[in-house]
Amino acid sequence: MMSMPCNNPFLRKFFLSWVFVFATAMSLMGSTPPQPGHGDSLQTHGAHGVESKQIPEEEQPSKYIIHHLMDSHDWHITDFGETSVALHLPWIIYNSEQGFQFFSSTHALEEDPNYMVSHDNVYYIQGEVTVDPHEAEAHPERYIVDHKDHKVYAKAQNVTIIDFSLTKTGLQILIVGLVMVLIFTQIARTYKKRDGLAPKGMQSFFEPVILFVREDVARPNLHGQHDRFMPYLLTLFFFIWFSNLFGLTPLSSNITGNTTITAMLALMTFVMIVINAKKEFWMHILWFPGVPIWMKPLMFIVELMGFITKPAALAIRLFANISAGHFMVMSLISLIFILGDYGRSPWGAIGIMPLSIAFSIFIFVVEVLVALVQAFVFTLLTAVFIGQAIESHDHGHDEAHAHH
Amino acid sequence: MEAIAGAGIGAGLVAIGAAMGIGRLAAAAVESIARQPEAAGDIRANMILTAAFIEGVALFGEVICLLAVLK
Repeated sequence: MMSMPCNNPFLRKFFLSWVFVFATAMSLMGSTPPQPGHGDSLQTHGAHGVESKQIPEEEQPSKYIIHHLMDSHDWHITDFGETSVALHLPWIIYNSEQGFQFFSSTHALEEDPNYMVSHDNVYYIQGEVTVDPHEAEAHPERYIVDHKDHKVYAKAQNVTIIDFSLTKTGLQILIVGLVMVLIFTQIARTYKKRDGLAPKGMQSFFEPVILFVREDVARPNLHGQHDRFMPYLLTLFFFIWFSNLFGLTPLSSNITGNTTITAMLALMTFVMIVINAKKEFWMHILWFPGVPIWMKPLMFIVELMGFITKPAALAIRLFANISAGHFMVMSLISLIFILGDYGRSPWGAIGIMPLSIAFSIFIFVVEVLVALVQAFVFTLLTAVFIGQAIESHDHGHDEAHAHH
Repeated sequence: MEAIAGAGIGAGLVAIGAAMGIGRLAAAAVESIARQPEAAGDIRANMILTAAFIEGVALFGEVICLLAVLK
């Protein structure tokens, strides 16, 4: 391994800039234009008449990234050459005709002639029909096309199915919940055992965090009632923090990068606001005091929109931050594959590899910080919104009334 | 094709907006730490918090650009 000429700053800059130039030059030289009709891998659908590269579908970066970010009924762990090691999760389907049905894996579901699985969605079908695939795609409520066998199936019309399966995301939530229960019951037991002594071990790590949530997040915003809301705020904070961190580790699934999960968290906050809101809060939304009467309907619309969008913004902020980080890391890694032309120009891949991996590591470190900061921001805004809802008459409205 | 072009331009604009906002925030924060070094811890905490809000708004725009490409 080359040793860097360390003590001369000019030589160090020179050396690093040469590494950069070399890497860029290798990757630019390495990428070859697509060769039509070359190779024997699957032909991808050419978009808008452009010549398409012969890339197997599962290696295309956009599909790979989306597949990684989305939920799935099989927890794919690794591939040993041709065989893939995956944990197959069960399907639990509620059929309006036949009640609950259980299938032990996607394979078992595909064997059943009444169901068809396509892109991780399940459909209840009546049978195969001979309809032109393009015609079938124009009527998606009646037909479903299986792109692998090029068959068209008719959907059963008066049967609704609801998918209640335990997917990868569901299992990951249970794992995070289990970890949280184990950690916090252990901490509670340690507190009881070491009453009056200095904290030790896991307790000494979590105590400043819990006190931070109480003193800097709950107490300033909740006007004296913070003890009521501390369990909810602490649960929210640690659930989001641990879920974000779990999403960054290799074998785990990414749950906060899923809009359903963040929407549910925001819905919990919304429910907390609605349950605890005092009459004054509702007055502010429905009949805003202190403005001329012709403005009150306008203020109603504005306040109502604000009331709905504040929790929605919480959900989108968390989802976008976490999935953007994952997206960037996977895009940088996919860049190695793109510039290496999927195996056809190894020097292209080797050239971009140091830069790509360095940037990926940098973004990973930023993502660890973002995991904590986003949990903190979600909890802080929840505390602020609940504080606004439970605010009683004595605080903060004397100035508005004094003007009249 | 136009959707992809629009999404690309939109993502670039979003990045410009976020960079401008966080740049101003960082300038003000660093200047106030220079004025009063004892308050550095408080200022740093507030800086990270407000940077998360600005980044949140930027990522709202990113999500819309992604939706434009993927649908």
